[in-house]
Amino acid sequence: MRTRIGTRVIVAVSLATALTAGLTVVLVVRTHRSDQVAEVARSVEQLSETIKSSTHYDMLENRRESLHRQIEAIGRQEGIEAVRVFNREGRIVFSSEPSEIGSAVDKRAEACDACHAEGRPLERLPQSARSRTFTAADGHRVLGTINPIHNEPGCASAACHAHDSRDTVLGVLDVSVSLADVDRNIARSQRRMAGLTAGALAASGLLLWWLNRSLVLRPVSALVAATRRIAEGDLTVTVPITAQHELGDLARAFNEMTRRLGEAQRQLTQADKLASVGRLAAGVAHEINNPLTGVLTFASLLLKQAEDPAVRDDLTVIVRETKRCRDIVRNLLDFARQSPPSRQSVDLNEVVRRAVTIMMNQLSLDRIALTLDLSPELPPLLADGAQIQQVVVNLLVNAADAVATGGGEIRLATREARLAAWGHAAIRGATCARGCDLLDPEVRMAGLPSIRVTRNCAGRQDLLHLDPVYGRFNQVAAHPCDEDALASYQCPRCRVSLHEPSLRCERCAAPLFSVQVPGLDRILWCTRNGCHFSHWPPMDAAEPRRVAEIVVEDTGRGIAPSDLPHLFEPFYTTKGAGGTGLGLAVSWGIVEAHGGTLEVATEEGRGSRFTVRLPLERAAAEASPIGEGAAPAAA
Amino acid sequence: VNAEVLVVDDEEVVRKAVERILAQDGLRVVAAGTAREALAHPALADCRLVLCDLMLPDLSGVEVLRSLRERRPGLPVVMMTGYVTAANASRALEQGAAGFLPKPFDESELRAAVAGALAERGGREERLP
Repeated sequence: MRTRIGTRVIVAVSLATALTAGLTVVLVVRTHRSDQVAEVARSVEQLSETIKSSTHYDMLENRRESLHRQIEAIGRQEGIEAVRVFNREGRIVFSSEPSEIGSAVDKRAEACDACHAEGRPLERLPQSARSRTFTAADGHRVLGTINPIHNEPGCASAACHAHDSRDTVLGVLDVSVSLADVDRNIARSQRRMAGLTAGALAASGLLLWWLNRSLVLRPVSALVAATRRIAEGDLTVTVPITAQHELGDLARAFNEMTRRLGEAQRQLTQADKLASVGRLAAGVAHEINNPLTGVLTFASLLLKQAEDPAVRDDLTVIVRETKRCRDIVRNLLDFARQSPPSRQSVDLNEVVRRAVTIMMNQLSLDRIALTLDLSPELPPLLADGAQIQQVVVNLLVNAADAVATGGGEIRLATREARLAAWGHAAIRGATCARGCDLLDPEVRMAGLPSIRVTRNCAGRQDLLHLDPVYGRFNQVAAHPCDEDALASYQCPRCRVSLHEPSLRCERCAAPLFSVQVPGLDRILWCTRNGCHFSHWPPMDAAEPRRVAEIVVEDTGRGIAPSDLPHLFEPFYTTKGAGGTGLGLAVSWGIVEAHGGTLEVATEEGRGSRFTVRLPLERAAAEASPIGEGAAPAAA
Repeated sequence: VNAEVLVVDDEEVVRKAVERILAQDGLRVVAAGTAREALAHPALADCRLVLCDLMLPDLSGVEVLRSLRERRPGLPVVMMTGYVTAANASRALEQGAAGFLPKPFDESELRAAVAGALAERGGREERLP
């Protein structure tokens, strides 16, 4: 049978509590009852002694009338059931109930049993043994105490009657009182305790249920729901981290696991796709390029010799379309060959020269002037020479295409540069304090996922997208927010406040809000909308980074502003049938895998400048949580 | 007349195309279909240029290039391939290839590659700035 853990815990804890509480109640009530009865017994004992001593002289002087009156008066007191005096023969000689006088009691009756149990009566009894409780005819309990009247010197020598001096016990004084009050008290307290215990049990059960629900059930069912979604193949799930205890840790670990799973799956899919495309492309390239060579060379030979313009036109089509086949195959290969860079110390100028050698034929054919401006001081850097060479070739191909249609020249330069983080460093991860991912790949700024937060400005809630590049202040929001307004900021997923209560803006003393950058502290912004203060401790303290730059500049036709946002997308081309739209996508991928950036500055009709920046320090070349803001920007 | 260009390729259409185009420029072309055949070719003694495919049935083009560099260090060798990768291009250039001719090429690309290699037959070490 399937029972929830929480239910089991609640049932077990409640049972244990009920058992302990019940036992306690029983023990307490029992002690209480015996204490009360003992108390009554003691007071009856005292009363009995009082009666004995106050009637002493009446007895000695045999004043029977006075004795009757006294005993009757005492018997009328509240709570007193009966007061009797028995003589040695067991006959009632005095009683608060006058009708009883003269009747005899069997010595084996319960009142007599304490002394007369063993044939010859005991003469002295311990106090506890003199008391007895019994149930009266109407059902209430009665406590009776017998008090033996011993033969004293005065009794045997009294003038009135002669007790034999050899007798030790002359009679017994029996006082019985009702225990109804005591029993009522005990029953009342018993009820009260039972009620209290039941209440405490219910309250603790309720508390347990609530604790279980909020501490265990909710986070666990969130985890279960997330696990189901993962099982269904959705790896974008995150569990909100609502607790700072073990389940919070579990949720955090779960999110991290999901993220890595997703990453691994993406890489696997990508690698799988690339591997099969690569195998296909390599096979196609090998098989197709030789026959294409035949078609291309013989068609171009014929074209040269042909006189008839109609034939020339036809041959031109053959040559053009064969070249198109060639480009398709070539770009397919480039795209398929995206692999992680295998870094070695390389001389960047040497890499650039090799790329130029590969491109020289085409450039001289197109009569494009290429100026090389290679810095001799460029230090060696860790990079995959073959991949960087491919990037340079791709950029040269694009430059040549841009120039060939517009006419002009290409400048290819290398140099070392220092790059301040301000305006360049871009975060690649942002979370709230509870670990929710804040990066939004849907809304990009200059090609990079923006940081998404919830903003409350003048009572209006809105999603605000912040620039992921440190030192830039681009913002996108559906509703405007006044420059001077102090907005409040929250995580859009778990609603946790992003404010930093202990910090104030250095410029305007307004409160600050922050997002966490995994591995690199956090970025702080001023909550006053128009202030534009931001602070990123590790970046503010960092030295400018050393980078190697490769610049490919052309005086070609430039890039239309409408094409700029799509520049690095695969299969986006402006060359019509002439391009495959893979060159820049491949280059971008390679440069990014090197921890570098690829930047474009362009002006339509005047030319473009592509700048590749590769980090010179080893540490920066490793995968780091930040990257450079690669901004295709109009010059 | 002695042979001036040796073309090494396992595809006949490529050998034919190279022969046809270069013959128009007055260059005498001999051909070999395998690396073994090429390395044993008598024309190797005095030819002015070798055009060699990167993937041959018996040896790789880079191995042919290496052994040619040992036997005739000054002889320019232009590598041809239908499977252009940055890696094999740079490996060929590292080994001292005079040029790189991706397949498929048209007649003007072939002519430019041959002219470039012949004009600067000292090898690429002297050619580059």
